[in-house]
Amino acid sequence: MRSRGLGSFAAGVLIAGAILWSFLTTDVELSRLLSAGPRIADFLGRMVPPDPTVMNEIVKGSAETLRIAILGSLGAVFLSVPLGILASETMVSSVVFRPVRTLLALIRAVPLILVAMLMVGAVGLGPLPGIIAVAIHATGMLAKFYAEAIDSVSHAPIAALESAGAGPLARLRHAIWPQMAPVVARDTIFRFELNLRESLILGIVGAGGIGFYIQTYVRSFQYDKAASVTLAVIAMVITIEAINVALRRRFA
Amino acid sequence: MKSAIQIDDLSYTHPGSDFRALEHVSLAAPSGQSIALLGPSGAGKTTLLTLLDGRLRGWRGRASVLGAPLDPDHPPARARRPDTGFVFQEFALVERSSVLRNVLNGRLGRMSPLRAVLWRPTSRDFELARSALADCGIADLAERRVDSLSGGQRQRVAIARCLAQEPRLVLADEPISNLDPARATEILTLLTGAARARGATVMFSSHQPDLARRFADRILGMRDGRIAFDVAVNELSETATAELYREAGIPSGTGLRAVS
Repeated sequence: MRSRGLGSFAAGVLIAGAILWSFLTTDVELSRLLSAGPRIADFLGRMVPPDPTVMNEIVKGSAETLRIAILGSLGAVFLSVPLGILASETMVSSVVFRPVRTLLALIRAVPLILVAMLMVGAVGLGPLPGIIAVAIHATGMLAKFYAEAIDSVSHAPIAALESAGAGPLARLRHAIWPQMAPVVARDTIFRFELNLRESLILGIVGAGGIGFYIQTYVRSFQYDKAASVTLAVIAMVITIEAINVALRRRFA
Repeated sequence: MKSAIQIDDLSYTHPGSDFRALEHVSLAAPSGQSIALLGPSGAGKTTLLTLLDGRLRGWRGRASVLGAPLDPDHPPARARRPDTGFVFQEFALVERSSVLRNVLNGRLGRMSPLRAVLWRPTSRDFELARSALADCGIADLAERRVDSLSGGQRQRVAIARCLAQEPRLVLADEPISNLDPARATEILTLLTGAARARGATVMFSSHQPDLARRFADRILGMRDGRIAFDVAVNELSETATAELYREAGIPSGTGLRAVS
């Protein structure tokens, strides 16, 4: 077990080194944190009470974020069905699924905000780049989930229907789909929840939605209005999570 | 009497290995017989049953089932498939579907392809499914989801699905391996009784010589892909059985899976 001890020692050195290096090289002066105390208090103080007059902006922004999440998710589903089939071990040969899986991993590796910035550059400001960004970014995960749903189907019921004389389409419909459907539904809803959460910040790069107002109010020092929008965002996240939990119970 | 199974010099090697699952197996069975397949795990029982069900490719020899030849390179014609019913060892049910729906799945081969895909069973399909459920003593479970059932109940659903198919030959792959002794007796009573009532031939594999003796007319002993003995039930000797399981250890109840 000598090599294992050596390994954990090396890991310890590496972690300690990384932490020290971070303190040494960036402009981290802990003294600034102390003097910042009153400023943080002032900042928070200016957020209370939240300004309720921005209700119109909140409704408008939330509706746009919701639309981006819904249309982006829809786009992701359309992209993920063919890509999921092409990424599944049971449907295609490794010549196909390996490159497709690599492509999906690459898509997953690019943060949504980066995709959104690129799309704003490509198609201009507004919700459209947001929708496209969500669709592309979500496909990286959703297509992988769909492929796993296809691959996790049990073969015994398919063989049983084949033995009973069911044709390929009937087997797909009555043995494969019933096993896949709940997994696909659960994964799609999960991804929709993530899409909604992540698209809340899209407005910051000009890709539409409620994030635009947070950015605008913070930059113009209207912290009470920013606080209202933030509360609305928190309410939306909690609501969608509650809905998701309830739905997931149904698909258990 | 018409022959239900006629096989001649069957051999089969699993693709990508040199493991011979079947070696020169020959057998003739008249219709109406109840045949038990005994033998240790890996003896070739599942392979033989799968082959007779028309789901194995690349074997050598000649085989015909219910008077029609099997092709080693192609699956049997769809119209013929329902004539041979198969009871799978691990039940092979669609877990999230209802019991009735699973039993109706046994009718898919008897429906027109369009009806089968669109799921439009006829009233006769429903009638046969209901009567199969009643025969298996699970009429009251019709609306339950399969994943809420016990092992014994699942096996009854699997048998009901097979019966709903109106098979003339019933192949059962270790239908009692997952059940306790009382359940095992019930299931074999049900399986062989229902087949007899319908004039169907039955072939089931098992690791339990005592039960095989009770429920079969004829016992086939298999070992290493060969038929070690083929006797009428009253001719089965203790020594032959002991020899069959020699060095095989405790019967594990898990046969070789011929088809992954």
